[in-house]
Amino acid sequence: MKTKIKLFALCSVLALGSCSLDEKPYGFYSESNFFKSAADADAAVDYAYATLTFLEYSRGVFYLGELPTENITPKPDESQDATDLNNWNIPSFKTNTVLQYYFTYAFIGINRANAVIQNVPTGDYDQALKNQYLGEAYFLRAWNYFNLVRVYGLVPKHNSTVQTLEQTSAPLFSNLDEMYDLILTDCKKAESLMPVYTIPKLGRADRVAAQALAAKAYLYIASAKEHNVPLYKDMKRDITVMYDSATYFAGKVINDQTTYALDSSLVNIYDVEKPKGSEHIFTMSMDRTGTVEGEYSKISKMFIPYIGGATVYLDNKNGTYSATHDGWSVYQTTTAFYASFDAADKRKTELIVDKVYDKTGVLIAAYPGKILYPFTRKYIDPSFVGDKTSTRPLLIRYSDVALIYAEASGPTSKAYGLINAIRNRAGLGNLMPGLSIVDFRKAVYKERTWELAYEGDHLYDLRRWNRVITDVPEAASITEEQAAFYPIPQAEIDLNASLR
Amino acid sequence: MKRNQKNKTYSIFTLKMTICFLLISLLSISTSVFSQTALIKASGIVKDTKGEAIIGVSVKVKGTSIGTITDVNGKFSLTEVPKNSAINFSYVGMEPQSLIITGKGELLIVMQESSVSMNEVVVVGYGSVKKSDVTGSVTSVKTEALKSIPANSIEGLLQGRAAGLQVINSSQDPGAGATVRIRGNSSLRGSNAPLIVVDGFPLGDAGDLKQINPADIVSMEVLKDASASAIYGSRGANGVIMVTTKKAKIGKTTVKISQQVTTSEFNSHLDLWRDPVLMASLNNESRINGGFPAMYIGEVSSTGVYYPSIQELSTTWKTNTRWDDIVFRNSPISNNTTVTVSSGTEKTLFNLSANYYTDQGVYINDDYSKGGYNLSVDHNIYKNVKIRFSNILSKGFRNSNGGLAYYRNPILPVYDEKGNYYLTSSQDFSHPLAITNLQKNISNMLDIITSAALEWQIVPALKLTSQINYKYGKSVGDQYFPKVYTEAGTFNNGYAKINNWEGENLVSENFLNFQKAFGKHELAAMAGFSYENYTSRSSSLAAMDFVNEALQNENMSTGNPQKNIINNGFSETKLMSGMFRLNYTFDNKYLATFTSRADGSSKFGANNKWAMFPSGAISWKAHEESFIKNLNVFDELKARFSYGVSGNQGISPYQTLSRYGTGKYYDDGAWVTTIGPGYVAGMQYIYNIWGGIPNPDLKWETTAQADLGLDMAFFKRKLRITLDVYDKETSDLLRERNLAYSSGYNKMWINDGKIQNRGFEVTIEGDILNTKDWKLSGNFIFAKNENKVVSLGNELTSGLLTDPNTGMKFEYAGNSVSMFRAYTNILAIGQPINAFYGYKTDGIVQTISEGINAGLSADLAKPGEFKYVDYNGDGIVNEKDRTIIGNPNPDFTASMGLNVSWKNIDLGIFLNGAFGQQILNTQAFNSPSNQPFRWTPDNPTNLYPSLKDGRLLNLSDWWIQDGSYLRIQNLNVGYSFNLSHKSILSKARLYLNASNLFTFTKFKGYDPEVGLDGVYWGGYPRLSKWTFGVDLTF
Repeated sequence: MKTKIKLFALCSVLALGSCSLDEKPYGFYSESNFFKSAADADAAVDYAYATLTFLEYSRGVFYLGELPTENITPKPDESQDATDLNNWNIPSFKTNTVLQYYFTYAFIGINRANAVIQNVPTGDYDQALKNQYLGEAYFLRAWNYFNLVRVYGLVPKHNSTVQTLEQTSAPLFSNLDEMYDLILTDCKKAESLMPVYTIPKLGRADRVAAQALAAKAYLYIASAKEHNVPLYKDMKRDITVMYDSATYFAGKVINDQTTYALDSSLVNIYDVEKPKGSEHIFTMSMDRTGTVEGEYSKISKMFIPYIGGATVYLDNKNGTYSATHDGWSVYQTTTAFYASFDAADKRKTELIVDKVYDKTGVLIAAYPGKILYPFTRKYIDPSFVGDKTSTRPLLIRYSDVALIYAEASGPTSKAYGLINAIRNRAGLGNLMPGLSIVDFRKAVYKERTWELAYEGDHLYDLRRWNRVITDVPEAASITEEQAAFYPIPQAEIDLNASLR
Repeated sequence: MKRNQKNKTYSIFTLKMTICFLLISLLSISTSVFSQTALIKASGIVKDTKGEAIIGVSVKVKGTSIGTITDVNGKFSLTEVPKNSAINFSYVGMEPQSLIITGKGELLIVMQESSVSMNEVVVVGYGSVKKSDVTGSVTSVKTEALKSIPANSIEGLLQGRAAGLQVINSSQDPGAGATVRIRGNSSLRGSNAPLIVVDGFPLGDAGDLKQINPADIVSMEVLKDASASAIYGSRGANGVIMVTTKKAKIGKTTVKISQQVTTSEFNSHLDLWRDPVLMASLNNESRINGGFPAMYIGEVSSTGVYYPSIQELSTTWKTNTRWDDIVFRNSPISNNTTVTVSSGTEKTLFNLSANYYTDQGVYINDDYSKGGYNLSVDHNIYKNVKIRFSNILSKGFRNSNGGLAYYRNPILPVYDEKGNYYLTSSQDFSHPLAITNLQKNISNMLDIITSAALEWQIVPALKLTSQINYKYGKSVGDQYFPKVYTEAGTFNNGYAKINNWEGENLVSENFLNFQKAFGKHELAAMAGFSYENYTSRSSSLAAMDFVNEALQNENMSTGNPQKNIINNGFSETKLMSGMFRLNYTFDNKYLATFTSRADGSSKFGANNKWAMFPSGAISWKAHEESFIKNLNVFDELKARFSYGVSGNQGISPYQTLSRYGTGKYYDDGAWVTTIGPGYVAGMQYIYNIWGGIPNPDLKWETTAQADLGLDMAFFKRKLRITLDVYDKETSDLLRERNLAYSSGYNKMWINDGKIQNRGFEVTIEGDILNTKDWKLSGNFIFAKNENKVVSLGNELTSGLLTDPNTGMKFEYAGNSVSMFRAYTNILAIGQPINAFYGYKTDGIVQTISEGINAGLSADLAKPGEFKYVDYNGDGIVNEKDRTIIGNPNPDFTASMGLNVSWKNIDLGIFLNGAFGQQILNTQAFNSPSNQPFRWTPDNPTNLYPSLKDGRLLNLSDWWIQDGSYLRIQNLNVGYSFNLSHKSILSKARLYLNASNLFTFTKFKGYDPEVGLDGVYWGGYPRLSKWTFGVDLTF
């Protein structure tokens, strides 16, 4: 009997040893073990920034900002999606993958920013650090929503993190005023929470970036409403107040800090080795040492034409030559745009390439000829590694803000001073003085097309000026609504229960 | 939500009940005491029908523990036997006998050899039942017939051996596993492999049971219907394969040596270019047709390779390398040695088997070897308490060198003038000898399986079994890719890697078996509980950019320290279960079984932790009824019906939890780690799929199955027929649903969708002849399974596509094939899984007007192009003309075995086939056997298109071929020696076995046995294997 008892005891122990069915996460983070420290918050903020660099999002900068405009055409055998965008093939847009990915990634960025906004206040660490991280998160949320409103107009509203299936279906903002409320409030919160960096930080925003974004957003509303862009014309906001607000925030950027200023050298701005120059208010951070596309950049490959698959050299006009790989000929400069530059404009002579050389400076190809089209050298990396480069989209640069100030304030002496500084840097004379406010703004608009050429902003200038239909030959027969906004992806409508 | 909570409470309640039942049973039972009557002595001799003494026969007095075994002369002697008690004689392979002892005197017992005994016992999970009492659909496979076929693991040998069991040996690599399915596929994203259970230890998915030497396996049971498989609950939906390993028998020590040597050869010729002139001229033709400059024109190409002109090739050109002679072994040799020592006394059974197995692949240096042992000891520590212990160790080694380019261009030399490997360019990564000699890709595996069990016969009617199982598996992979000759090495300036994995599985099971007859009522019950814990841990280290590569991956710190890559992972799953089974028999005619298992799994969502899997079966032994007996036709006529529910918990762990992702960001000039919501849960082309939203409702897939069966035996059981019809429906399929883009996530796991499998199975076995000298037996197996996708969940959230012509909803499945820039298979509602979807063709376009009239345009309308059919008749051939163009699932499978023996010679033949399935032959137009028949203006054939480089191919029915086949799978000849009793040898047998001897098929590729998606990728011909074997028993 004793043996039996022993055996029974043994069996019971073996059987009831351990019994919990709870799953303990291993090797990954979640709400339960994250957002505890300042370092956590820093990593979460960087996670939100990193969204911008994913190729699904970063390629949209140009696929959407440049390709649909009159300045760029794609190569003939470029993907159907890119061709449709260029041709303003409206029925295809609902299922266009470029538009789908851009939409998705803007919201991924918003969700990541929301996680910071929601979790950082409860952390137990230095308030100054908290303010910095919260400010950046507000800036990023505003940045992503500003991208969305410029591309799609009204989109679903997410102002907290998505954690359950129910939360994945959010309704649209009810109108543009509501959507801009969120963008502008976030910009102002970001402005109040963040400091100004003494040296620009590559890939991180500061107070100046928030002010610049606010200025961009106010100007967008002002000019779009002024030009009767659909939905904008119904906004409650007053045009003059919007222009004044844009002037106010652009003025803060210009007057209230000493870190950022016009760079005296045009070429410096695009030197991948000098990413912390005075023009660089907010730059998409990518580096050739990354391991996947997004971490490194292939933007160069998109802009540079195919020239025999070899390394070519560009003339620096100072007796030296910079190497670059050739490219895939995707974003091709239109002849009309090339011709629109003043012959003396350094933004053409120094920044658009029509001749390439070998290492010793012997000409090997030229446009017209073996070079398919004149191409920008805003995106070249002489230290490229295979297809990997450090070429980065300049998301907000000082000249953009200077021109925003000029456009918003109208023909004031300050405005003339800013636009002339930009023209003079490009080797051009001063703008004709005494222009009317309408002509002055038109002149600033033209200046933007040259100064910010190839930088992913032109479509939005066209849109807020309601000029897509008139200026883009492929868009001649579309409606104002179709010109002003791309449709929300069909799949979003199918999958979002609040939109059906 | 509410329903789930109710389920949960209910399930926990059930489990608690089960546990309570167990405890109460244990506490309340006390030993019975036997009263004793007058005692006498009983002794005698046991002989077989030939008059030879049988050693080791178990002699037991019924209802007592008194017993012995027969000695070397077949004699036994028992004292103190109660008068008028029955003595049972039993011996494996013999019909058991019973005798009433009335007085003294020598007894003579003549035992008959059992053919297929009605009293055979089958293992059904947590117990066993008499074959005649099985109520579910269970097929036993006697592995005796398989042992002459060499194999690394048992599954590959099961092909065609059980109705409803589908085994596909698509890989011929050394040590490769097999794909195993019972009654079709029932899951889309979870596992479809049956659970394999070895001696009560559930080891996981069937397909690669390499740890168990097939020679150690004595029998296998395939549990097919819900009644049989529901005892394994949430892992039973794909069926269960129960494996029983050999145990020693009572008797003197025996030593058995089995030795097999196998050599193999291709069963068909390689389809290679032997005539460089033909190859080059067709290549030139193809390039010119595609608008490219011809290559074989006697010039150095852009990559720096000199391609001779046709003229030069046909006159002065010397190089015509037969790469296949370099790449393939002439006759790969495999060796399989097993030594078994076994010994048994009444108290202790001991069996030790050691195995050493080497397998040479058909590619040079492509090797596999393993060695190990299997020790099992059973010991009665007390007259009613037995312990069982087994320990299996298996150590394997693999040098992977497969997939070499035997099809490399024959005009290329092996070496250049300096004696280096000749490369066509710095990015030529397919030089077979360079890869063989310089690339490293080896792995070492170790598996240990230990089981300890205690069986306690508490009272004659009640037995407690308590078993602890532990399995440890480990593998270490070493790789080095040199700077030259390999892609990874060239791009990273040398690439070294170490992959580590280790897994542990602990299962503790305790169950009670109760068995008692009350008059005409017989009751058997089992109740138990089980706890299982599985952990898997992995790490990988990679280093690159080596200064000096002599050490390969031996000292990875010598790589560029900034480029090291480290990964590690871990996962743990827990499964807690209570199970219960009740068998009731009335009058030995009417049988009923009720089975139920409650499973709680850590993998399930918080709202669905517990699942309940009930099943029931009824059976009627009609042959026990007098009106059937009077017919004098049936020796057995048994009808069975079962219905029940089992599950599939094939989710990865942690899918129900919220999960953050990590990445890196170039923050102000330095890479930093980033962390936040959403992680990369997969890739679609080059785009990330974001997951991380928790699903606390996620649960198992549920398979409900009904089975109707009939077991019949005629002519004194010489003819036996089993029929089964089944209908199996799997719902709550584990799938990923799409999420609104604005959520910031792409997908999450949910339960949605339905699949149906219906079929019938026929097994016919016959002992046709059984005389002193001649024996002839045969069997025939037929199985038909029809598989259909019933639902794929919500159309929108599943992102289903719509066929524009029929409105059929579908999604793509399988692999995207680059030559077609398309997925080959689809899952479509109302269709069998993996149907092929593409264009129809109607021969070849002969004239441009014919092409244009057919709705083709531009290049596609030109003569020599595929004439795609304008299926919807809208005048244009485009993607809207696609439709279902084939089905890779067989209509039926069938196999037939025939065994004949004459005196000491035996001969067996086994045929196996699958019929009606279609294969997508991706190689249908790229080989010497088809390209010369191309369309040309001079040869306006309707069978092949013109050769044209850069042609944009559409996936069409032109590539679909009939995959039906019938294979002579095995042919076996053996000779057993007559040995005198004085010989040291007690048994000796020699045999010759041939596998894959010949295949009858219309399929145009090397071999029609391809994977379940039906896509044929080429590879190399099926290997015919010739095995010479010797079995010696001492």
